[in-house]
Amino acid sequence: MSELSTLARPYAEAVFKQAIESGSVSDWSDSLNLLSLVMQDKEMVAIIANPKVSSDQLTTLLLDICQDQLKEESINFLKVLIENDRLILAPQISELYESYKAEHEGYIDVEVTSAYSLTKEEQNKFASTLKKQLGKTVHITTSIDKSLIGGYIAKAGDKVIDGSVKGQLQQLAKKL
Amino acid sequence: MQLNPSEISDLIKKKIENFDVSVEAHTEGTVVSITDGIITVHGLSEAMQGEMLEFPENTFGMALNLERDSVGVVMLGAYQHISEGDTVKCTGKILEVPVGEALLGRVVDSLGNPIDGKGAVETTETSPVEKIAPGVIARQSVDQPVQLGLKSIDSMIPVGRGQRELIIGDRQTGKTAIAIDAIINQKGTGVKCIYVAIGQKRSSVANVVRKLEEHDALAHTIIVTATASEAAALQFIAPYTGCSMGEYFRDKGEDALIIYDDLTKQAWAYRQMSLLLRRPPGREAYPGDVFYIHSRLLERASRINEAEVEKLTGGKVKGKTGSLTALPIIETQGGDVSAFVPTNVISITDGQIFLESDLFNSGIRPAVNAGLSVSRVGGAAQTKIIKKLGGGIRLDLAQYRELAAFAQFASDLDESTRKQIERGQRVTELMKQDQYSPMSVAEMGVSLHAANQGFLDDLDVAKVRDFEAALQSYMKSEQADLMQKINDTGDYSDEIKKGIQSAIEAFIKTSSW
Repeated sequence: MSELSTLARPYAEAVFKQAIESGSVSDWSDSLNLLSLVMQDKEMVAIIANPKVSSDQLTTLLLDICQDQLKEESINFLKVLIENDRLILAPQISELYESYKAEHEGYIDVEVTSAYSLTKEEQNKFASTLKKQLGKTVHITTSIDKSLIGGYIAKAGDKVIDGSVKGQLQQLAKKL
Repeated sequence: MQLNPSEISDLIKKKIENFDVSVEAHTEGTVVSITDGIITVHGLSEAMQGEMLEFPENTFGMALNLERDSVGVVMLGAYQHISEGDTVKCTGKILEVPVGEALLGRVVDSLGNPIDGKGAVETTETSPVEKIAPGVIARQSVDQPVQLGLKSIDSMIPVGRGQRELIIGDRQTGKTAIAIDAIINQKGTGVKCIYVAIGQKRSSVANVVRKLEEHDALAHTIIVTATASEAAALQFIAPYTGCSMGEYFRDKGEDALIIYDDLTKQAWAYRQMSLLLRRPPGREAYPGDVFYIHSRLLERASRINEAEVEKLTGGKVKGKTGSLTALPIIETQGGDVSAFVPTNVISITDGQIFLESDLFNSGIRPAVNAGLSVSRVGGAAQTKIIKKLGGGIRLDLAQYRELAAFAQFASDLDESTRKQIERGQRVTELMKQDQYSPMSVAEMGVSLHAANQGFLDDLDVAKVRDFEAALQSYMKSEQADLMQKINDTGDYSDEIKKGIQSAIEAFIKTSSW
């Protein structure tokens, strides 16, 4: 997993630089997302891994699938990936690209898990406090996990802020 | 120890009362792969080198390799329950172990947990295992002796407080025996001892503990063990753990003696970890920093001055220096001191005690090779009486070695050569000493005086040790005052010299052996 993202990094960086130069950051985001979805398809993975399928055949196949949704630059990028035999990295490239994009635009994706569903008001409150703590605009996605008992867990990349009852119980257990 | 139920539930109640509900912020990662005690974790972008990482079920690992997207972690203990995808938390702390007086008399593992079944260790302080050695300004030169209680070592290769003296030799040459005698001899001197057993058999460690107990020497000793069956990471840390426990005494203005038995095995454990972490192997497959693991450890053994002790104790202890003396042990293969780890440690330490299997097998025990053994700083610390008498002994032995090799080919020798060889034979005989019977300064002084003044020259070589034993018991019973005086002052004044001389003369007249 970690090795894949190391391999994907130069691609993601190159794409992101190109996207900024041509001013098409969100277009690229869409096309990379599409590519990564295609590559996550089980049949697709099997085809890529099949040594009998030549790179020409692969190119035609992929262009058939997403021709209309990709711009010329994206098609070129796809060809580079096929040539270097790195198609399998598409999901990681997309992920890294999104993180560069987030960094560039000065926001951070935060995943908030809570025991009960949050109202709009509560979400806004979260967003503003997290903004203060992390120093960046916050894009919140929410999910519900009853096993937390109460409270919330906020995840931003590696960083985890654990304010759940479950986490506190674990802390207490450790102390005893 | 009996558990008191009410006490325990009270304790728990108190803990719950004082429990501080805090929102915890930390960095998390995911386990990617697990191989032979090495775990690769994805994420953990804020992990520090050497930081403790928390795994599920309260197990811990130490971050050693920080890479761009992953962290290489060595596990401290069992890792069988960890699986791919588990979350790993940063703790923001580097490894700490308990330190303090309460550890004396105890046997603990590399993390400071007691393993002797005598209950919890009541310490309040902890200390990081990796610390930077005292600086140049904080140090003081070595000028007080640590008596190891062995004639051959104290007279010829003296060790001072704060010195690092290597004990090196093949297997079965009595390396550990010297270390144990040294610990036993510290009884009643106020020197605290730490014995660190690395990669040894549990039975050997149990033996050491029992011997120390028998000789009433466990009370001033801490035993840190990472036996052969424990994780490589624990074997690697054990010396640093022991060192931190020793530094506690040093920083309080006391004296401590630490024995690392042995650093070869620690280097092996580190080699294992490094190879599994895919660090590039160098000579003998050791990683590039194998010198540094030993140099940074041995640098921490030092003598610190009064000002530093006062600073470290916050002004509580004044006018006292502190010291940590280290006796690292290195095991050689087939007497090869030019292997990688032995040469490294020889160059780091302030001298070495070189033990030889040939000597050991020919009955010279301790099997010290007086020619190859040196002490680079201990001379300044030697007790006056031993220093004056030891010089002669060293010279006698050096001349003897030279002549003995030469005399093998010559049938008749001139008078002076023959005399020197005979003196050498007797001194060699006198240097033999039984295990677990360390000698005081006065006892050594008397034996060395007898050799220097030629009292042994008329004896049969086989009778030398009987003579010595009889002389010692005579001195103990008839000349207790004189012996006490020598032990107190350590002087070799004319008065003491005359006292010993006349006592030995009287002994020869009256006794048989």
